[in-house]
Amino acid sequence: MRLALAIASLVVLIVHGVVFRNQFFHEWERHQAAYFEQAKSMSRNDRERAELEARSPRIEQVIVTSFGDTRVDRCTTCHMGAEDPRFAGHAEPLKTHPYSEALGDVQRNGRWERRHKFSDFGCTVCHDGQGRGLDTFYSHGEDEFWPEPLLGYVTQPNWRKDFAPKLKGMEYMEANCAQCHTQADFAGTPHVNRGRKLFYAMNCYGCHKIDGMSEGTLGPDLTEAGKKFKVDYLWESIVEPRANLATSFMPDFHLNQADVESLVIFLKSRRGVNFAETSLDRYEAHVANVAVVIPPGTAGEKAGEQLLGDRACTACHKLGGRDGGIAPDLSYEGLIRDEQWLGDHFVNPRSRVPDSIMPAFRFPAEDFQKITAYLETLKTPPPPTVDARTTFTNLCARCHGEKGDGNGKVAWYIDPSPRDFTKPGFLASKPRTRFIASIQEGVGGTSMPPWKRILKDDQISGVLDYVMQNFAKEPFRELKARNIPEKNPVASSAESVSRGEQVFELRCIGCHGRKGDGKGPNSLDILPHPRNFRNHWFVESVPDRRLFESIEYGVQGTAMPSWIDMLSTNEVGDVVNFIRSLQAGQK
Amino acid sequence: MSTPTQEPPTPKSGTALTTLRELPQNVWNSIFRNPLPSTDLERSSTSFTNFFLHIHPVKVNKNTLRPAYTMGLGLMATFLFVILVVTGVLLMFYYVPSTTQAYDRMLDLRGTVAFGIFLRNMHRWSAHAMVAIVFLHMCRVFFTGAYKRPREFNWVLGVLLLLVTLFLSFTGYLLPWDQLAFWAITVGTSIAGYAPLIGKQMQFVLLGDTTVGQEALLRFYVLHVAVLPAVLVLLVAIHFWRIRKDGGLSRPEKAPAPAPDSGVVKLKKVYGLQGFVRGPFTKLGNVPDDSVYSWPNLLMAELFVFVLTVSLILVVSLLFNAPLEQPVNVMHPPNPAKAPWYFLGLQEMVSYSAFWGGIGIPGLMVALLFLVPYIDRTTHGVGRWFAKERLLANTIFLTLVILNVIFIVIGTFFRGPNWTLVSPF
Repeated sequence: MRLALAIASLVVLIVHGVVFRNQFFHEWERHQAAYFEQAKSMSRNDRERAELEARSPRIEQVIVTSFGDTRVDRCTTCHMGAEDPRFAGHAEPLKTHPYSEALGDVQRNGRWERRHKFSDFGCTVCHDGQGRGLDTFYSHGEDEFWPEPLLGYVTQPNWRKDFAPKLKGMEYMEANCAQCHTQADFAGTPHVNRGRKLFYAMNCYGCHKIDGMSEGTLGPDLTEAGKKFKVDYLWESIVEPRANLATSFMPDFHLNQADVESLVIFLKSRRGVNFAETSLDRYEAHVANVAVVIPPGTAGEKAGEQLLGDRACTACHKLGGRDGGIAPDLSYEGLIRDEQWLGDHFVNPRSRVPDSIMPAFRFPAEDFQKITAYLETLKTPPPPTVDARTTFTNLCARCHGEKGDGNGKVAWYIDPSPRDFTKPGFLASKPRTRFIASIQEGVGGTSMPPWKRILKDDQISGVLDYVMQNFAKEPFRELKARNIPEKNPVASSAESVSRGEQVFELRCIGCHGRKGDGKGPNSLDILPHPRNFRNHWFVESVPDRRLFESIEYGVQGTAMPSWIDMLSTNEVGDVVNFIRSLQAGQK
Repeated sequence: MSTPTQEPPTPKSGTALTTLRELPQNVWNSIFRNPLPSTDLERSSTSFTNFFLHIHPVKVNKNTLRPAYTMGLGLMATFLFVILVVTGVLLMFYYVPSTTQAYDRMLDLRGTVAFGIFLRNMHRWSAHAMVAIVFLHMCRVFFTGAYKRPREFNWVLGVLLLLVTLFLSFTGYLLPWDQLAFWAITVGTSIAGYAPLIGKQMQFVLLGDTTVGQEALLRFYVLHVAVLPAVLVLLVAIHFWRIRKDGGLSRPEKAPAPAPDSGVVKLKKVYGLQGFVRGPFTKLGNVPDDSVYSWPNLLMAELFVFVLTVSLILVVSLLFNAPLEQPVNVMHPPNPAKAPWYFLGLQEMVSYSAFWGGIGIPGLMVALLFLVPYIDRTTHGVGRWFAKERLLANTIFLTLVILNVIFIVIGTFFRGPNWTLVSPF
């Protein structure tokens, strides 16, 4: 017991020793001692030497109140020689902070004068880092929790190893220059300027909002991206959009490294509040942005083809050699869609495909016209081939999948989902004429285009046979005669619609949603998603007979069950009237 | 100072020189009435006349001193509290309970204030240790059946102390005002919000707002530095007092308790005030033989526990820095946002059912804890670890303890983003 007591007491003593040593022999004191020592040897007169002799180590700090929150920068506690030109040749931390004409420093009578005086600006305004710390690890922001490590100098240990080397370099500090120098063409911030241009040119603004610059709503608001995120995260989000959120539909823009870097620096400069801006400036920028729907760029200057390239359309769509892997193939657009459709779709994509994720880009009208005109020239059908397999692979597999399972590379982004041909029952329960019609005419309000101008009848028939033989696991069987009215026997009236609504609320909203938009609580787990009855292009393209059949007998191969035992024909008629009534005002 | 008897030295009519020479001696004697004891009489006297020692009985049962019996857990908790008070008061000199300043003060403590980071480490790790040790102390008391008559109420006080300790630690958790603190308290107070009827009101009173903000910081600060420590000190005082009044620490029943008719103590000689204390132990003429003098036996044991506790906390504080995460960003919750570890069992249960996990089951558990000594009225198996007679009670308690620990371990190590199961390895 006494031995244990002695040992424990010894531990207490030792720990006290270590703690006291740490507290009284700081790293920064050694740096200061070295500075005094060397400054003394360099000083020319005795007075200066005596002054240095009299100084003892102490914490140096600059308190900056002019830029945002009050900053306490104690950096000069170690970096003693930052303002002492005699230390230009020394190693860090005593080295003189470089003078540069690019920073506005001027030389008068052989002496440099700083444009950005440390006593006014401190250090962290430009460099980031944690000004209050006195320990290299913490004050340089090497601690993974510190939101602002020294920009361009320090990468934190938890950053991705493959990015870390690219995140070093003085150019990153431009993000902080831009906190005051907000002019779009400021010569000192070429990377920020280039990033800003890329933000428009690559259509980032279509999905992302930056206050005063853009109003996109599909992606996250980037107004404070530079405050919220570290450069490592920004870089990763651009080059690997799905790295953080597996369900993100942000395209990979295949930018070169210089472009990524410029965008990262630009985004890092977005910190919500710029020191140079007043509230009035911000309000004016906001108003101006809402009023002018034309982003800075090349309105009407270029032909459609060039615009298409410049606007990064192929970041999502497929055209020529590029395939973004998110949106439909534009290669035969001239054969698929007419000018009217394209025009409407550009102005508001959801006016034609109600569940489309395509943003409504705010190009000038001439640009839309030029792109439309160009797309209309894409009228060359693929080389006619009799091999149905090739046709399917070239034209259908991008959505329906190589295996016909409705899981092609773009299927995830398309709503309604492409049909899954491997589900037994679906192909077996529908007449062949319906499939032919779907291929020839397309399916209204969805991404299934009409193929009749691209494929000849025998090709269509061949592809359908190919699908039936290769994917459908059940052979087509003759359907039992179903007792389905051709026309809705219940006349549409306010009472019928109201009765239909009651049935709908009782039976259907779990999947189809209270609004009938196909987004009920169960819809998340269901593929293909429940039908959106607010998609008037679709609903109006199907006859009463098909609605009756789907409700009474269910849709095989989907989650839609048969209601024939639970709903009378009249009730189904009411529901159909209710669904039809939703279309009013949808156009 | 080595006067052999208790008699004060007869004052001599001395000169100024003698007065001066005897000054240190006289000052010492005026403070400490007794010399370092060498006889049993002096030993009792020392314990009895010293303010700080008089909380001890003059003699203690040998069983009380067995390290394997108590493991010194209660003492450890007390000493941790002392460390917390000392470091806490020193930290108070630097801390400002303001949302704009608190985090900067943390940075100053870490980087600039002399011993700042060490003080903070000690405070942080002592707080965590205290929660754990108080819990273990409760387990010890249960497994040795020490809550039985006449110590029922002291068990209730102990449960109250556990709750106050948890709440103290919880209120302190918010003060650094970093992401860890903010979201842990957000989660923790949301659990309180699940209580029926008064949940939302309780949450509002606690936070002074609907979300964690300046009001919450101020409230937690006041609770943490003033209200709860005062409550804790009061409860601890009663807890200690009850130990004496309930006849010292529990121990195996060796000699049968004096028969009721022997309650009338035959007075053989005049005895001091301590003789009036109830219970079988301190009665004169009925003193068990297996007791020893507190001085130096008990004091040595206490000193040992104290030095051990302090050295452990010092070593841990030297090796590990208290966490300080990003400054608060209310728009950017970490995924997952976790409560402090001692509430992660709750949070894990809340992930199954908000009401039952957060309020129902914990409420039942606490109610059960309070009622333990009133439900289990048998008197067997006191004073021994895992006594055979108490197999059922110990099994139930152990099961609940292990379940709680498992939930905490799952919540701490096996829960990743969106509270999905992940492997920590």
